[in-house]
Amino acid sequence: MSTTNNSAGNQDEVAKKKLGFGFWLCVSWLALMVFIALFTPLLPLKSPTSNFLDSSQGRPPYAPSWKHWFGTDKDARDVFSRTMHGARISLTVGFSAITAGFLIGGTIGVISGYFRGWIDRVSSFVFVVLLSFPSLVLAILLTSLIERSLLTVSLVLGLLSIAPVGRLARAATMQYADREFVLAARQIGAKDRHIIIKEILPNVAIPMSSLALLGMAVAVVAEGGLAFLGLSVEKGITWGGLIQLGSDASKTLEKAPWISFFPILMLFLTVLSLNFAGDRLRTYFDVKEMTL
Amino acid sequence: MRYYVQRVALAILLLLAVSMLTFGALNVLGDPLFNILGPVAGDVNNPDSIKMIEVAKREFSLDRPLPVRYAIWLSDFVRGDFGVTFSSTGQPPVSGVISERLPRTVTLVAMAQFFAIFVSIPWALITASRAGKVSDRISTLNAFFLVAMPNFALAVILKYVFSIKLGWMPLTYVADDPLRSRLFQMILPALTIGLPVAAVYQRLLRTDIITTLQQDFILLARTKGLSRPRILLLHALRPSLFSFITVVGLNTGALIGGSIVSETVFRIPGIGSTLVESVLRNDFPVVLAIVMIVASSFVVINLLVDFAYTLIDPRVRR
Repeated sequence: MSTTNNSAGNQDEVAKKKLGFGFWLCVSWLALMVFIALFTPLLPLKSPTSNFLDSSQGRPPYAPSWKHWFGTDKDARDVFSRTMHGARISLTVGFSAITAGFLIGGTIGVISGYFRGWIDRVSSFVFVVLLSFPSLVLAILLTSLIERSLLTVSLVLGLLSIAPVGRLARAATMQYADREFVLAARQIGAKDRHIIIKEILPNVAIPMSSLALLGMAVAVVAEGGLAFLGLSVEKGITWGGLIQLGSDASKTLEKAPWISFFPILMLFLTVLSLNFAGDRLRTYFDVKEMTL
Repeated sequence: MRYYVQRVALAILLLLAVSMLTFGALNVLGDPLFNILGPVAGDVNNPDSIKMIEVAKREFSLDRPLPVRYAIWLSDFVRGDFGVTFSSTGQPPVSGVISERLPRTVTLVAMAQFFAIFVSIPWALITASRAGKVSDRISTLNAFFLVAMPNFALAVILKYVFSIKLGWMPLTYVADDPLRSRLFQMILPALTIGLPVAAVYQRLLRTDIITTLQQDFILLARTKGLSRPRILLLHALRPSLFSFITVVGLNTGALIGGSIVSETVFRIPGIGSTLVESVLRNDFPVVLAIVMIVASSFVVINLLVDFAYTLIDPRVRR
């Protein structure tokens, strides 16, 4: 899951303290997507499941037009409406997965980085075990065995992010665990729990949260990949599923490329925005590359 | 020596943990009987089907307790016997499926890695020598685009542009074709996996080359009047390659993950697409074998990267 985390952080020194136009463009796109995902049922969209057969146009799929902005698929369903509906599952899964990963992985990472000893050894071994599967293999394995609902798919992807998040949190905690203010707090008799929450967590949370957007990008891509393979949320429209539907047969892809290409465009812009905004935030907060 | 022994022991422990987890998850969460017998497996009121279930259970040794089954599977597995596929006949043996399909995936991953390396090195050299200029900024943007393109989407785009619209590349993989045309058919699938990885490599290597270019020996080479390509290739590249080599090694796992999607889109019967099929059919022995092969190669590559590191820098061996 670390591919996007390897991006070099050597932007120009001058640009470091400004987020820049590109950042706000990306944030606007993401805000638009979140708005669509939240309010899909209230928006004046065509029904995503109705068949808009039009005898004057012959047999579907119909090319993009005024009536159907993104065209229709083989069953004359409106691709624009379906793509908008797809934002919902992709973003929900991406967001819940990374939230779960940060809560669980972050907690384990901070605790093992602070206390070290056997807790650290056990959790480090668990992380290594989780990381010794390519993440897509583990995701396929788990989703194939369970009933695939919004919650379970999010949890599986959250489980995948525990190890990378946990390792980062552990490394960040270890940087601060021996610093003077922590030692001072211990000298005046503060309890470990107090030190972790009041002294360590604020320092660890900022660099970690700037990585959350990058993590969410990975989760959105992973969900898309699962959906493409038919292993994401069973009922409901996903971008990965839409792309798969339009490209499964080469004939469909040749005759009606819009069925796949509009969802690809949406997915691409969303992942690009998450990556770009995340990268800018990371340089803004000056998060050093933490060795994994 | 002790360091090496410890690392190998840890790797074996790791693989045992992976196999236990996979074996446990498959058997606790899944239902293998349905796959062997079909609807009969669920028909527990009919005495005939109960008898068939009993027979099948014994045949596939599903009547033993889980730890015993794991022990049996493990002792067979380390001796190279991957068991039988979960189907009504139990044919073909899993080792047959694997030995037929693994070479295709290995070829694909090797080809993808080859593309990624030989795209990223010149790309990084050129952009590093022009760091900060317009061409470098455009290339950074391009790298961002490539990394943001999920590989299943990239596969669809490459297929549409190069196979359907331009007609330069074949649409699918034909297992019976001669080797040369099969390699040709693998170019697009390998690019699908390799291009985003090339972007990751490029960004890493570019940073390292820029650091190297600021060192004194480069200044010396420059004052000696050596040409820029010569400095880049003969003086700057080699000392910048250390972290590149590590990441290339560690990324092999990500490439295997990418091959799952790529093989599915381009219909290559390798172990990636087989994993997806078997997982959907609940064909546990095949799934288990593939997961173990993938995890083992992952762990072994990690080990080799670590060992290569100790050779370069003995301080790591504390």
